[in-house]
Amino acid sequence: MTNLQPAHHAAGVNNKKWAIGFSTVVGVIFLLNVFVLPNSNTQVQRFFNAWFSLNSLAEIMIWILMALGLNIIVGYAGLLDLGYVAFWALGGYVAGWLMSPFLSQFQVNFFGNARVGFDQGIHFHVFLVLILGGVFTAIWGVIIGGPTLRLKSDYLALVTLGFGEIIPQFMLNGSNIFGLNVTNGAQGIGGLDQPNIFGYVMGTFALPQKFLMVSLMAGAMIFFSIRLRDGRLGRAWLAIREDELAASMMGVPLWRTKFSSYAIGAVGGGIGGVGFAILVGGVYADRFNFVISIIILAMVVLGGMGNVWGVVVGATLLAWVNSVGLVQVGQLINNTFDTKFNFPSYQFLLFGLLLVLMMLFRREGFLPEARMRMVMNEEKLEDLEKVTDDTKIGSH
Amino acid sequence: MIKPIKIGALAIAGALALAACSGGSDSAGSDVLVVGTDLPLQGASADASKSTNEVIALVLEQAGGKAGDYTVEVKEYDDSTAAKGAWDDAACAKNAQDHVANANEVAIMGTYNSGCAKIILPVANEAGLLMVSHANTYPGLTITWDAGEPALYYPSGARSYARVIAHDGFQGTAAAQYMYNELGKRTLALLDDTQAYGIGLADAVEAEFTKLGGTVLRSGWDIKAGSINTSTFEKVKGQGADIVYYAGIFDNNGVQLVKDKTAVLGDNTVFPSMAPDGFSGYPVLREMPEAEGLWMTFAGKSLDGIKKGGGQAAAFIDAYVTKYGYEPNSSYAVYGGVAMQVIMKAIAASDGTRKGVLDAVFAGEQICLTAEESVSGMGFCLSTETGDVDTVTMTLQQMTGGVETDIRTIDIS
Repeated sequence: MTNLQPAHHAAGVNNKKWAIGFSTVVGVIFLLNVFVLPNSNTQVQRFFNAWFSLNSLAEIMIWILMALGLNIIVGYAGLLDLGYVAFWALGGYVAGWLMSPFLSQFQVNFFGNARVGFDQGIHFHVFLVLILGGVFTAIWGVIIGGPTLRLKSDYLALVTLGFGEIIPQFMLNGSNIFGLNVTNGAQGIGGLDQPNIFGYVMGTFALPQKFLMVSLMAGAMIFFSIRLRDGRLGRAWLAIREDELAASMMGVPLWRTKFSSYAIGAVGGGIGGVGFAILVGGVYADRFNFVISIIILAMVVLGGMGNVWGVVVGATLLAWVNSVGLVQVGQLINNTFDTKFNFPSYQFLLFGLLLVLMMLFRREGFLPEARMRMVMNEEKLEDLEKVTDDTKIGSH
Repeated sequence: MIKPIKIGALAIAGALALAACSGGSDSAGSDVLVVGTDLPLQGASADASKSTNEVIALVLEQAGGKAGDYTVEVKEYDDSTAAKGAWDDAACAKNAQDHVANANEVAIMGTYNSGCAKIILPVANEAGLLMVSHANTYPGLTITWDAGEPALYYPSGARSYARVIAHDGFQGTAAAQYMYNELGKRTLALLDDTQAYGIGLADAVEAEFTKLGGTVLRSGWDIKAGSINTSTFEKVKGQGADIVYYAGIFDNNGVQLVKDKTAVLGDNTVFPSMAPDGFSGYPVLREMPEAEGLWMTFAGKSLDGIKKGGGQAAAFIDAYVTKYGYEPNSSYAVYGGVAMQVIMKAIAASDGTRKGVLDAVFAGEQICLTAEESVSGMGFCLSTETGDVDTVTMTLQQMTGGVETDIRTIDIS
């Protein structure tokens, strides 16, 4: 008991550390955009807008949320999910249904912020929509996970791949489900309500405030990810990831534990989907394709499966490259060397190359989880031992 | 625990120092005005967008880089990402904020995709920034269509969006008039692809065909790739249909649909069929023997039509070929030039502010382009109420010998 006390205390200190660090970074970005940049000269504004625009930074926070959600499924529980984009879509559509005039057959306003002249539809408060978005996707995680989680890894991956294709297709073609327009098909749902937080309406140009909101969401996800990992459930996930049979022998209920990872992981997608819809002002089915699932997976793998900070780094890096990084770096190279390469068109080539290099030289990711690093090194050691044994056998 | 705080404090101090060293931001009302083009520069539409930007550059060059007393510059925005290979909602949302943040920007030329326009338009509208599109055909952007449209896109309550191309509603009307008046058909089998574009188009066809006195047999077609639709055609055959209209896009199981129609109703010499521009530009369709004789409509003039029309428009295409060494990618690129001409007229008639440019289109005299000055060879005026063109030209085409051949243009006023 006395031994546990310092460890618990240390965890508390660590939580405080990252919380202060994260808040500082978010706070600096917020203050910079609210007080400093508007009073800076055009060149400074242009630089920040081109390389680190607030829109891109807010989008990065959404990607972090998504990646952390998937990290629970893939990084913690070791279940390969190739259709995570479906949860993003579901979360987005929850926002579309509950924060816009789209479902015009209803006229419900529950602390919502309906635009003037658009009382029809459902208008819930943004906090409620965030909760419902998380709950809705968790339910879908349960529905999909329930019958499929008994499958082994490859087969489960195929099922999730199917799920990731079906949901977006449903959204794309859902303008006439038995005569009902459920998703507005390819046209999507626009005109989302502007969030009203404690009386402050986040208008069209309240980007710093929206950034703050999605940052808080990402921060909450980081907190829960860390707490979950360190808890009983998290240890059970890690045990399953390392050795399912051994975990089962030690009394870990396999199905129930996997099931919970799928449901809880889905919540990240749902909440992120709501946040993204608020940022964009609508939800459009075009976004939800297989490539997005793969990018989120790559964020987890490149960053360091299982390690929250690794995943945050992976998500930040890839989201920035996709949003503005590659275009800006490309322009810089073209201007410096007077070349005319269209760098964005080589994105997947560069991306593939990076993946190959990572798998060859650092397959545990940028910031690997200590346990994952040990496992990787263990494998390397085993390989080395085998080679040594073979050499010994050969020399005899 | 101290470290992050130290880093944060240093960052804040650095940022404040940066601000202290710098001056204020640029003010509006400068003599150099910016027009932002907002197009998908990556993915499948990249070539069309590149061509559109080139046409716009040439329009500006031929005007000496000036609109009235103002020097005009073009800033290119990309609303696509490599990951999607198409327009991206997040990129559109970012561009919307960037357009507004650029103090010298007085108008947006774009977008190419209606979905992207739905995201940018409300933001630009709130900032009083004019937007003129060369390619958005979704009707709800300017007229009543889905619930809440178009008011949803104009939060300021005032209009700020115009387009130089006809919306899908016009295309449906033109098609219905042609089938009833010129082909003499009275019972139309109207099939839609159950998607927004197809349903909207079918609504317009149905309304006009019924108004003319014809009978409409309407149903949806199965868009799942390879799905058989023969039972639909058997049914309309039994009901006495004498023409088929495919309201939708060819990507939605169009190959099988056209084959099934021919199998049940016969080829187009026996039983004619008609399709919108959602069936245009597909090499697979051109190569299908079943497509021979298919009637098609295209909003605006085709590139061939522009060249054959002669005059200023044909001369502009020649100038483009001389400058770049190849023809514009599509007629949409040329319409990008028309949109730029509209914006330049508005700038010339303005006081150089965003409000002035916007008022020139929606509050002052109508902005008109004559056929002689328009780079598409089509004259029109923009409605100050909706921002739509008042004269719509549709091109009637027929598939002959595997080529979409222009038959003639149809003007709808």
